[in-house]
Amino acid sequence: MQMIRNLPAKWDLEANLVSIGSGIGGLAAAIAAHDLGANALVLERCGELGGVTALSLGELWVAGNHHALALGLVDSTDSGFRYLRRLAMNYGEDAATLNNVVHARIALKYFEEKIGLEARVIRHCPDYYYGVTEDAAPEGRLLEVLPFPAGTLGDWQSRTRVSPLVPYGLTHEDMFGRGGVANMRNWDYGLMAERLTTDQRCLGAGLAAYFVKGALDRGIPLHVGTDVQELIGDGARIVGVRAIRDGKELFVKASRGVVLAVSSYERNANYNKTLGQQLDLQSMVFPSIDGANFRLAGPVGARIARVPDITSLGFHVPGEEQASGDPLWRSALQPIGLPHTIVVNRMGKRFGNEAFYRAILYAVDIIDGGTQSHPNFPCWAIFDSQAREKYPFGSVMPGQDLPEGLGVKAATVMELGRKIGVQPQALADTIGAFNGYCQNSEDPEFRRGTHPWSAWMCGDPYQKPHPNFGTLVQPPFYAVELHRLGGSAIPAAGVVSDHHCRAIGWDERPIEGLYVAGNSAARLETGAAMQSGVSNARGMTHGYLAARHAAGHPSDLLRKEIERLGL
Amino acid sequence: MIETQQMISIDAAIDQVWGYVNDIRQWASLVPGCRDCAVINAQDSRWTLKVGVGGLVRTVNVMVHVDAWDAPQQVQFSYRLEGDPVVGSGSYVASRRAAQATDVTLMVRVEGSGPMSPLWEAMSRPLLPQLAKSFIVQLKTEIEKAAHARAAQDGPVTDGRSGLRLLGRRLRELWRTLFGCA
Repeated sequence: MQMIRNLPAKWDLEANLVSIGSGIGGLAAAIAAHDLGANALVLERCGELGGVTALSLGELWVAGNHHALALGLVDSTDSGFRYLRRLAMNYGEDAATLNNVVHARIALKYFEEKIGLEARVIRHCPDYYYGVTEDAAPEGRLLEVLPFPAGTLGDWQSRTRVSPLVPYGLTHEDMFGRGGVANMRNWDYGLMAERLTTDQRCLGAGLAAYFVKGALDRGIPLHVGTDVQELIGDGARIVGVRAIRDGKELFVKASRGVVLAVSSYERNANYNKTLGQQLDLQSMVFPSIDGANFRLAGPVGARIARVPDITSLGFHVPGEEQASGDPLWRSALQPIGLPHTIVVNRMGKRFGNEAFYRAILYAVDIIDGGTQSHPNFPCWAIFDSQAREKYPFGSVMPGQDLPEGLGVKAATVMELGRKIGVQPQALADTIGAFNGYCQNSEDPEFRRGTHPWSAWMCGDPYQKPHPNFGTLVQPPFYAVELHRLGGSAIPAAGVVSDHHCRAIGWDERPIEGLYVAGNSAARLETGAAMQSGVSNARGMTHGYLAARHAAGHPSDLLRKEIERLGL
Repeated sequence: MIETQQMISIDAAIDQVWGYVNDIRQWASLVPGCRDCAVINAQDSRWTLKVGVGGLVRTVNVMVHVDAWDAPQQVQFSYRLEGDPVVGSGSYVASRRAAQATDVTLMVRVEGSGPMSPLWEAMSRPLLPQLAKSFIVQLKTEIEKAAHARAAQDGPVTDGRSGLRLLGRRLRELWRTLFGCA
């Protein structure tokens, strides 16, 4: 494909490498490029830095990492590669999987040494499929950052994003060491208050802040409020971008490359429908996640690819908003896996393992070809007063009444069914069957509770005999309608890239000068698989690899690993 | 329980300050994020606030009760959040520092109840001082702006009409001092 040639009369800014986006991918690229002798700058569309990384739980999935090995946990990149490859179900590409796995631990160590990133193993946190498939680790691959002192960001402290969704004043260790979300009444709120007061950031807000600090320490220019409109080519390669800032055009030269790290398209309903095959999707992310990666890379011939994906489920607590003024949506991932809670469709039937989101969510958008309908949507979380008394439901605290407009309450299951339009007897039968499963903590229909990760993330460790089982018997009963929700910007479709993170064209050749990182890139490393912590890790790794290539120091590790493994 | 105390000096007479704060709607207008203040009676009002905590903006309804209007020095108040197990109280204390200078101290307490009270208090600890500080700074700004505007409107006392304006102003201030309202 012929490269575009749309050079401006003059450049307003110049750098060797230009990162578009200030999540972990864009910042990692800018930092690594700088350290490799190529000057860099970052263009961020929003007024705040940190991107979707800052909204996340901040987990980094890194197989064979040095922290796990130091704890005596047995692991290797080979094992991590086999784990992801098996779960990818052949929808990914082995070389891409291997490339990501072998470089993730190197990138981790690199940023620890260079920017002072402080990570540690999230103890007792298993891989999603531990206990279910080979090469899954019982713990060690999932890392989190130590609290970051945001006061060190200076003027950027208030312009570095935090999350409205996760309690970023606490670490995983702080939360899960005291029984997890199910037992949040046991958390150390004195510690949380101290962290919030002194602005010590944990989780994704902390992870993003480490990288912002790394960029600031290097004097890397960070241009917020700068909306990139198009890529600029010289007829042979991408050499810059045209952006809009304060209503004026800004031409930015990138002599060695542009890194596209703008996340995905979750706030673009059309792309959700036509690329993700997801209808009426609500979102937890901010409005600028609208598919800029496709709009920018499309005109220069970048190829896109899609992997199998799920539709998440979520709910909106009335009165909660994002800073943008949009309604704040919360994921149902955790509360639907708690004891005394199930999910039913309009037939009053369960349709999946509620405690393992990867299992149930594939069923949300199943189409019944016989009737051309979605049999499992709409759907409702159903729970009883035991759940309400013991557990939070999103931001609704244990023991609190559900706010008006969030759900429905009834004295009996039959009445609840009538209120939500679900056949009452069918609902009663489903609850009766589930209550029976609770006797032996065995779910013959959907194998709820078989993933140790489910117990860790969604369960109540103090619930006996099983963290994910508990009967629905105590009135009043509750129903909360669940809505389709995006996967926090982890998309089905993205721009195809090679092992140096160069964007690939429809002619299968690299588009010189254009790199792609994180959720902007097609998930060919994971195929059908998803594993918590992979997205942040691939953003960091992509940024590292793109910078190395752009700075003239491309990694040759993949070639060596392919030879070693005989792939 | 979380408590904060904020102090500020306002360049206006204590009666002028009281003339501003003796209307609960004026208080509400100074609270960051206040969208509505429905006055129920002389003591009670219902405020709708949009409160920002760590990227989350939440609409909360607050029932405010004024326990005592003691012109021109003191106001005691209490409040409770609707739907959340949170209550609070506070006071406004003004003292005359000079003819045209008033020291104001605002104290606000917040207290969660029930098993999740530590969570509410943890979230309030960084927020409460910011809100109280913002309130009192804005109070100073508004009152001084009004005082300067009034001074400019009245102009220098050089003729009989200005003398009448001055007399009128003094009478209004005396009225406020005696009866607590304009």
